[in-house]
Amino acid sequence: MAASPTARIGDEELVASAQKGDRRAFEELVERHKQKAYRIAFDFARDREEAKDLSQEAFLKAFTHISRFDGRSGFYTWFYRILVNVCLDYRRRAKRAPAEEYNETVEHQVDPTHVPANPVAPDQHAIAGQLWRRVGAALELLPAKQRTAFILKNHQGLSIREIAETMETAEGTVKVHLHRAVTALRQSLAEFA
Amino acid sequence: MVVRDKPALKACRDLEEDLVLYYYGEVSESARGNCDAHLKNCEACRASLAEMRSLLPMTAAHDEPAQAFWEDYSREMRRKLDAVAESETWWRRIVGLVAPLPVPALATGAVLLLALTLTLTLTLGKGLWRSSTSAPDDEAFMEVLPMAEQLDFFSNMELLDNLDLLETLTGQGNGTA
Repeated sequence: MAASPTARIGDEELVASAQKGDRRAFEELVERHKQKAYRIAFDFARDREEAKDLSQEAFLKAFTHISRFDGRSGFYTWFYRILVNVCLDYRRRAKRAPAEEYNETVEHQVDPTHVPANPVAPDQHAIAGQLWRRVGAALELLPAKQRTAFILKNHQGLSIREIAETMETAEGTVKVHLHRAVTALRQSLAEFA
Repeated sequence: MVVRDKPALKACRDLEEDLVLYYYGEVSESARGNCDAHLKNCEACRASLAEMRSLLPMTAAHDEPAQAFWEDYSREMRRKLDAVAESETWWRRIVGLVAPLPVPALATGAVLLLALTLTLTLTLGKGLWRSSTSAPDDEAFMEVLPMAEQLDFFSNMELLDNLDLLETLTGQGNGTA
């Protein structure tokens, strides 16, 4: 398969073109970062359609505000902040939604086309399903900042400094949020350890 | 993965936070040394660390959608970008109408607008003030009354002049007859 003509171009150049109104350049940025963006959104929403909508919403925000990007950080760092904020807003909106929705949506995450590398026994599969629901419920109970710090550290592997920058708070505060989140999750999920 | 009935041993309280950071590799060199030394001698902290190692990776949500999902994602994204670009075009058209005008022209327009606003405000304000103190008919009558009195005075004066003229003419007529 032939490589895309924009494949060798750096993010900075694509952003510069997008700032001049080049739609194709922005679409290339979406293509490059859509999978990472989706995974982050999925960590927050734990629902495929929601994760798709949230990551797309973040790209649209980046598109409308691309002129404000000053290049002091990389495009992805800038976009990452937009995405996390969109996910946190979703959390606030979701809190107002009925609680039953969560269990309904998490049941539909199994991709029928996905073949697991190591098939598990039915009882293990049942426990995994049970764990999935319990983790979702436990994360749902965490305050927004604790949950964000935990997801960015545990799921995304960001450093404490990067999390502090993303959340616009002190590193010490992030450490406290992380510790409290881990303590709460361990209490909720102790039976699965 | 095993579903466990017994709760794990609790880690030492003063090391609890450091142990979380130790698990994530976020402690300084000296703190790491302290943790390592403590863990050698503390079964509860070792159990706590082991629990984090088995439990926390399981909390991450993994989803690997099929290729069709990503194709659909890109198509949908292009559609949404089209919609946003279209709505932005309307704004640009409006801004585009104003933007080419030079700054002095815009300033003159603003001053004229301000003057018009002030004039209207004062005119209307005055009208309102007047209407609140006296009725328009009364006011007109008060203005016309002195004029009417003056008119009467001049009419009377004119009548007297005419009488004088009549008497003079009558006297002249008697003398010549």
